[in-house]
This record gives sequence, C-alpha cells and structure tokens, in this order.
Amino acid sequence: MSRTTALRPFAARKRPGRGLIVGLVIIGLVILLRAFAPEAPADTLADTVRDFVTLSISVVIESLPFVFLGIVLSIVVQIWLPEGFLLRRLPKNPAARRVVLSLLGMLLPVCECGNVPLARGLIAKGLTVGESMTFLFAAPILNPVTIITTQQAFGWDSGILVWRIAGGFLIANLIGYIYSRHPKPESLLTPRFQDACALGDHHDAADGKIKRSAGLFTKETSAMLPALFIGAGLAGLIQTAVSREVLVTLGSSPVWSVLALMALAFVVSICSNVDAFFILSFGATFMPGAIVAFLVFGPMIDIKMLALLRTTFTAKTLVQLTLIVALCSAALGLAINYAV
Amino acid sequence: MPFRRLLRRWQGALLSIVGIVATVWLGVNGQLGLYIHPRYFVFTMVMALIAAALVVAAFALVTAAEDEHEILDDGGRWAWLWSAGSILIIVSATVGLLVLPPATLTTATVAKRDLNGSTSDLTQSEADSLVGGDYSTFTVRDWSSLLRQGAGEDFFADKTATVTGFVTPDTSDPENVFFVARFVVSCCAVDAQPVGIPVYYPGWQDEYPTDSWVSIESGFETNPSISSEEAIVLVPSTITPTEQPAQPYVY
Repeated sequence: MSRTTALRPFAARKRPGRGLIVGLVIIGLVILLRAFAPEAPADTLADTVRDFVTLSISVVIESLPFVFLGIVLSIVVQIWLPEGFLLRRLPKNPAARRVVLSLLGMLLPVCECGNVPLARGLIAKGLTVGESMTFLFAAPILNPVTIITTQQAFGWDSGILVWRIAGGFLIANLIGYIYSRHPKPESLLTPRFQDACALGDHHDAADGKIKRSAGLFTKETSAMLPALFIGAGLAGLIQTAVSREVLVTLGSSPVWSVLALMALAFVVSICSNVDAFFILSFGATFMPGAIVAFLVFGPMIDIKMLALLRTTFTAKTLVQLTLIVALCSAALGLAINYAV
Repeated sequence: MPFRRLLRRWQGALLSIVGIVATVWLGVNGQLGLYIHPRYFVFTMVMALIAAALVVAAFALVTAAEDEHEILDDGGRWAWLWSAGSILIIVSATVGLLVLPPATLTTATVAKRDLNGSTSDLTQSEADSLVGGDYSTFTVRDWSSLLRQGAGEDFFADKTATVTGFVTPDTSDPENVFFVARFVVSCCAVDAQPVGIPVYYPGWQDEYPTDSWVSIESGFETNPSISSEEAIVLVPSTITPTEQPAQPYVY
C-alpha cells in the first residue's frame, strides 16, 4: 500500500470562540443523550450480551483516568518541562541509562495504561526505542503503589514481592538491551508514530504552551482512546467466552499453573496497582511460581496493553515482545516452582 | 478528505467526551460502584474533570492552523475502512456508555467463574479473624468464606445470617437450592468473583427469578437436599424481594 506524507497548507483559520461553542454544543448534546437514556437494565439483552457490555465498560471506566493521567504527564514532559530536563539527567552509559529508566516509575507512579502515552512523549523527546521499552515494562511493577499493594497482599516473607521486583527489573532491562542492538530501531515504530515524532521537532514555538498542550491532548487522545476502546471490547468478549474455571483446575501442576495464570493475566487485563489483591485469593490454589509469573507478565503484556501499544509499535514488534516477556516470565515462574 | 481529517483529529476528543460524561454521570448518581472499586472513585472523578477542562481547551484553542503541520496519510483505496472503523468505535462507545443503562454482572458470569471457588474467599487468617465477630454485620462473602473453610455444623448451629444478594441456582440441585450471591471486586467488574450462601427453598424459581435481588434472615441447617453438594444451608421461612443495592459488589 502506498503511503504519502505531506505538509498541507491550511486554508482558513477558525474564528476565535467558534470552536469553543462547537465543543460546548457537542458536550451538551452528549449530556442530553445520557439524560434521556433509560435507567432500568435492558431486559431485552441476553445475559451474556449484557455482561459483555458491563465488562467492557468496566475496563474503560477503570482505565480511562489512568490514560488521561499518562497523557497529562506526557504533555508536561513534552511541553512544560525545560528542553532535555529528564533526558539530560540520565547517565551516558546505555546500561546505566536503562537501569535509571526502569526506576522512573518510582517518580511517576502511573499504571501500565498511563505509561504508554508517557513513553510516547519520552520517545518524541529523544528517548531511544529500546530505552522506552525498558521504561514501559519496568514502570508498572517498579512503582511505589504496586510495591506497597504487593507487600500488603503477600508480605515480605513469601518472597513473591522480591521475585516480582527482580523479575520485572531484569526482563525490562533485557528487552531494552536486546532492542538497543537493533540496526534500525525506528522500524520498530508504526509509520504514523514516526511521522508524529518527526513533526514534534517542528512545533511552532510562537504558539503558547496552553495551546500546544491542547493540541497534543487532541492528538494523543485520538491515538490512545480508540485503542483503549478496542482493547476493552476484546477483554470483555474473551471474558464472556472463556470459562475461568478451566484455568483454576490447573493450579496444582508446577508447569500448567504457571501457564494458566499467565493466560489469566493476559485475559483479565487488570491494573498492576491492584493485581496483587486479585491474585491473593488464588494463593491457596496456585503454586508461588505461578503467582509470580502472573504478577510479572500481566503488567507488561495483556489484551488491553497490546491494543494500546499498537498505537506506537508495529505488530511484528509486539509479537516479538510478547514472546520474550512470556518466555522470561514462564522461566521465572518455573524456576521458582521447582527450586523453592 | 476534510471529513477524514476532522475525524482523525477529533475522534479522541469525542471519545473523551463520551467517557467523561459517562463517568461523571455515574459518579453523580452513585453508580460508579457498578464498575470499579470505591478506592478509585475520587481519582476517577478528578481525572474526568481535568480531562473535561482539556477537551474544552482543545475545542477553544486548536485551530485549523494546526493543519499546517498535519500528517496526511491517504491510506490508498482502503481509506474508507479507517473512517468506518473510527465511526464504529465512536458509535459503539456512545451506545455502550451512554445509551444502555448501567448494569451489574449476571448469572451468566457466575457460570463462568466458579462460584465460591478458592479464588473468591477470604484468606484463612482473615476467615479465622471473623470467628467471634459481630455476626449481624457479616456479608455474603464473610459467611461463604466460613462455610468453605469448614467452620462446621456446631459453629453455625446458633448463628443467624442477615444477608442481601442476587439469586443464582445451585447447579447440583437447581430445583431445591439456590445461592444468595454477590460478586467480590478487587479492582473493577472484570476481576469480579462470585461468592454465595446456599439456600434450601424448594420451588424457589416460581417466586424469585434468577438474578433478582432478595434479603434473607435465617439460621443455618444441614442441607436436606440429597443431590446438592452443599453441606450446610440457610433454610428461611420467608424471603423478601428487594431492590439492587447502590453498591452491588462486596470488597
């Protein structure tokens, strides 16, 4: 398929205030639509369809504030912080840079959905693709909220928290290292995101920061939200189609328990900040290695996350990343099951 | 082309408006609990309001001059497919979030998620700490945890449960036994796990439809059912139909 990219001359400027009126009218219409919508549950829908809608909406309502937070942080990094404020402070040595980046989540405790827009902002400001991956995969695990909730759920003694932190750190740095060796790292990005990064260098400095922030908000929401809604729909669909009971019956096998909980993590797409509470109740059924595999694999790769990552990385890259993370998580889980 | 460009630029703002209005509406009407854990209520509302301010700023400030820097990807002859997909996402989001009424999960999900499986209980230590507590405040989750962790008939002999939940059949004896059930949520409805207390009430289907909400005050007894797998059940003399509570899940 041919692809053309061009800078198109603008024809006419919008009159001041006209856009605001259009926006307020649209918001008013949406509020009216909601006000006149029925309040009673729709009995005409089959239970399975109703639950599909409820589950999908649940993913959207839960994830949307984190995506907004990530976009706001991305705007701060790209527009409001002084040029090079973050990147200038990173070590020059590539390995040390990745180590520091994998700890950036300690300062910016956003869950995985919010990290995607933030990582896009960091790439646009000059972070390499491999470094952005290290940040993306480490930050959901190596952040204070996740560490505290995991500690509350499992304590220190079980070792699960330590394995989770160590596993997340090592896998994220391994991926960063692997992709830092790529001869053409820009080819790992979608063409559209490459273009957006290229244009990022041509920001009209004459525009005020507020106006540029508003422009970046429209661009980032246009990239992220369709992906979020698709991911939410897929997560809802698979949840209504796949019985969770099947997975639970596999809990006592050292091998199958690891694979089952990784599959569960992929399907459930739960936020890394609270996944420890969710998996806690599986503790009696599943082996510790399976719990660790769930807690390491889930924050990095799940249905919703893949949909969000697809805004930035090519499908081939995402297949590779999924395989690497899955193999490493499974190896970690199996090692714990057999060695501990 | 202009329509496509408009759609590409503003689809995020439109989806934001749909999400923000749905979120704020649920929050104002006390219905956020249908989808997410209460610990997220404040954060969700605050971010919705911040995003609303950004959406309004975008409509007010982002001008056609931005198109000077706009990327145009003609997408070849499949360009219409991209537009159709965008419209489908916006329409689906609008229908799902704004037109269809808010709803809880149903028995269809109970069947998928192992009612009272080990995945939905309190931990052993949490269940142990329940013993000797104020039984009048126990939730469906508390009682179901004690039942599953084998508190024994002697323990339940003098106890009375006062619980509210939805009706879902016991698959091992659907004619005579149903569960008064709730979903336990740790993050959002996606991770909901069903818990329930078995109730022996032959012919319950004639009076209480599956998924309807009921309140029960009853003591525990040995299950008279022959085929049911539940050992101890509630045997109420009366069951009161009730409205779905504002927070239908337990935490």
